[in-house]
Amino acid sequence: MGTVMKKMKFFTNFDREEQWLNEMARQGNVLIRRKPFGYEFAQVPPENANFRMDYRTFKSRQDFEDYKALFEDSGWTHVAGTKSSGSQYFKQTRAEGSEDIFSDVDSKAARYKRFSDMWFSLACCFVPLFAALIATDAIKLSAFLNPKELYYTPGLWDMSGGEFWRALLFETPFAFFRGFSWLVIPVMIVAYSVFAYKAKKQYAKTQQGR
Amino acid sequence: MKRDKNLPLTETVYYILLALLEPAHGYLIMQKVEELSAGQVHMAAGTLYGAVDNLLKQKLIQPVQSEDSRRKVYVITDRGREILRQDYGRMHHMIEMTNKIMG
Repeated sequence: MGTVMKKMKFFTNFDREEQWLNEMARQGNVLIRRKPFGYEFAQVPPENANFRMDYRTFKSRQDFEDYKALFEDSGWTHVAGTKSSGSQYFKQTRAEGSEDIFSDVDSKAARYKRFSDMWFSLACCFVPLFAALIATDAIKLSAFLNPKELYYTPGLWDMSGGEFWRALLFETPFAFFRGFSWLVIPVMIVAYSVFAYKAKKQYAKTQQGR
Repeated sequence: MKRDKNLPLTETVYYILLALLEPAHGYLIMQKVEELSAGQVHMAAGTLYGAVDNLLKQKLIQPVQSEDSRRKVYVITDRGREILRQDYGRMHHMIEMTNKIMG
């Protein structure tokens, strides 16, 4: 067994991700596994690998197997990706055959459309949740102006000296969580929308054959 | 007669439908398309998978029982046959007209 190198990275562009994986292989790090936030590489002699990506989820295990079989028949090894992971990673095994897993711009662009739709539906999932939090007054906007109301320790503000600081510092993480953890939701909605927009732009760009 | 919204077919779709007059799995479709087009149409795996997926949604092809446990086998539907015939007629007319004027 060779050594395994782990790397964290985040891409919203398949073309750039493919280039990066090929560059890693040229440096002797060939992709063997994909984790939600990272990549695992086997350390091998440098090679000119050809990694390509598709974006697809499957309804059944049988559909997924059929998909992988088609690529294998065509000279591509399925390196990473699961039935519902979306991103599918392929490495070319035969020198002959096409250089790419897509033979026209429409299908090459369509993967960005599927990617964009996924980010968009994810963003949409959080909107009703956010709305429910607002509707039930679970979000205390007044806490921005008066953070004191987030502290529940009885008599905290009448304490002094070391006792006060100990109690304050002890409760601060809890108070922070109570008051501001909801911020994660709008932040995610914005981030997912940005990713959806970027993928949509890349879709249009690829379709124009640029 | 009002033309079907699926017409005209693209060159790849036409050849896929033509190939699927007999049942075939994905890779066999790719090979048949290349053969039928005299090497002019070469499809890559991702593109073929997407095309087959679309044709299934449009009900122009359908899956059939397969002996291969991994590879799905498809065949043209009656509707697919009808569309193929209509597109043949469309192209036939174009050739006739071209012959008449240029020939």
